[in-house]
Amino acid sequence: MERRSFIKLGGASLASAVLGSGLLSWVPRSEAATISKTFYITGGTLTMPDGVGVYFKGFSNSATGLNVPAASIICQEGDTLSITVVNKLAVTHNFVIGGLKAGDPPLASTGDILSGASKTLTYTIPTGKAGSYLFYDNKTSYNVFLGLHGGLAIMPAGKSNQLYSGSPTFVKQQFWIFNDIDPALNSAVQRNTVVPTTFTPRYFTINGLTSLPPGAVGHGDPTRDALYDTRTRLAGFVGDRTLVRMLSAGMCSHAVHAHGNHFEWLTDRGTVRSSVWKKDTLYLRNKLGKIDAIFPFEAPPDAYPPTTHGHFPMHLHDEMSQTAGGGMYQFGSMTEIEFL
Amino acid sequence: MGMGNACYVYPGAPATPGIVTPNVIFSRGIYMNGSMRFDDGNSVTIWGFTDLAAGQGQADGMGGGSFPSPAMRVTEGQIVHTKLTVGMMWMHTIHHHGIEPSQENDGVGHLSQDVTNGTYTYQWRPKNAGTYFYHCHTNTPLHAEMGMYGGLIVDPKPNPADPVGTKRAFANGPIYDVEAIWAADEIDPAWHTLEWAAGTCGGDVGLNNLNPKYFIITGVDGKTSALTNPGVAVNMVKGQTLLVRYICAGFHPQKIDFGGLTASVVASDGRPLPTPWQTGSIEAHSAERFDCIFKPTITGTWTVTISFYHWRTGAVMGTAKTRITVS
Repeated sequence: MERRSFIKLGGASLASAVLGSGLLSWVPRSEAATISKTFYITGGTLTMPDGVGVYFKGFSNSATGLNVPAASIICQEGDTLSITVVNKLAVTHNFVIGGLKAGDPPLASTGDILSGASKTLTYTIPTGKAGSYLFYDNKTSYNVFLGLHGGLAIMPAGKSNQLYSGSPTFVKQQFWIFNDIDPALNSAVQRNTVVPTTFTPRYFTINGLTSLPPGAVGHGDPTRDALYDTRTRLAGFVGDRTLVRMLSAGMCSHAVHAHGNHFEWLTDRGTVRSSVWKKDTLYLRNKLGKIDAIFPFEAPPDAYPPTTHGHFPMHLHDEMSQTAGGGMYQFGSMTEIEFL
Repeated sequence: MGMGNACYVYPGAPATPGIVTPNVIFSRGIYMNGSMRFDDGNSVTIWGFTDLAAGQGQADGMGGGSFPSPAMRVTEGQIVHTKLTVGMMWMHTIHHHGIEPSQENDGVGHLSQDVTNGTYTYQWRPKNAGTYFYHCHTNTPLHAEMGMYGGLIVDPKPNPADPVGTKRAFANGPIYDVEAIWAADEIDPAWHTLEWAAGTCGGDVGLNNLNPKYFIITGVDGKTSALTNPGVAVNMVKGQTLLVRYICAGFHPQKIDFGGLTASVVASDGRPLPTPWQTGSIEAHSAERFDCIFKPTITGTWTVTISFYHWRTGAVMGTAKTRITVS
């Protein structure tokens, strides 16, 4: 499996609703719609930055591909999700859409999907569920770590620029889905041996990729390098306020640190905060934690002479996450912020 | 690419674009052979920055220095030069964490340069008063763990209506009398035997796995010493107002518990909060800062406990403690 398969994008069957490329594209509708999507549970080996092959599973766009994370879905309150999941692997899996807030039950689930079988989840989204969601497999506690996860954005009905009705506004939006990978777990699953009871992650991804710094093979390739992945990279002119829907699919809690601007912090674990704090570092919890925040694309405030251009990193400040295979600083969970 | 045994580094010491005459200059060298001694008698190697203008250390990195590195203190609106001088044997940068300057002055190696064999002058002009810190951004997991960080405080411009000497957390913010800077960090001795470029060319040197044995506050062992160390523990008089600048300087999550005192958190990450947050404890992750106001109304001693949680398991790995004593 080529590393490129990490970033295969959404199918063309729902160009308006399923991520096709880059940013989440959204035009609100006055009428509810049915959003249909088929995922195939597949597996394969992907090559890490240090050359080590690691087995992953994913909710993929085809029966022969591997997408980690899955193609994102965007819809609005009132829509009906019709998601068919085909299990191409030898063991039972499932597909659940996590709850909005920490502790909430899942929004919906397929139930068990036996090997070779398929199931369709149908769920009409009620009002009040606007927000960011992780869909994943909870058949085991660790399937989500293997790559069986993706992002679902539910927009407030009729809104194009708000996370929830009345929220601060944005002009663009995207997901950052973080994962932490212990190849010993993935290997045990692949070989059907005893799963470890403790994990030590060795690779750290954002939307399925690691950064590849200048000089590295693949640097600058948006299909391989998280610094340039159009789903991940923040690029905008001053004023291009960008909503980032941050989801933790991994084992570790993270400190999400932006250079260039402070975030406007809107939600924590699905709950709207009572006031908007401006933060350069955000505490993203493990165990399916999530945060919504706006990167405001204001001129970097402390530059002298003043400027409206430049390239800056977003990286996790728990710096272990900036490595691969126990070393290789700058081959971890990092992307780039470009002021155009 | 590489330099010696370092890979994916970007050596340079170019001229600063658009350089002007500054209001404030900090001259930083480095040290690569310092040490910290813990309460159990053990010690580890520490790296850091020196204040060359004060005659501390040399630019060649030999010897030791203070830990944390010398603090920077400026006033909002000042044009600041941070001059970093590094010898040819190493590469380092200074990233002023939370300060948002131009790309060239942000101290991120792959987007500007890792300073070596010369001096780079970081030029910046802080707009927002508050609590920040500075650290090296070269092979950051290792260099920050080794101690290459220091406090960075931006004071508000003096309010002409205030009496001379009035100290505020930010413009029109709370007035304080006593100040403490608590940079809470964890130390894994296994990391403190590595060389500066460890792991950059590949190979497993363990930088994904930080297993701390010591837990410190502003360079002082939090097991016992920080309870009374005058640089950490607070002694104040009833009626005074205390500002604690809490910096989560480690890599694992933390929780600071104020031992029964209630903090009025007035700012975080160098930005005032819309409304102060009243709390007895704060959960924080790496590099977050919280500015906490205390106005004790009674005398007494309160023990402040910082718990360090494993980033994956959530288990408490250790604690660091200090005290607030009100007489």
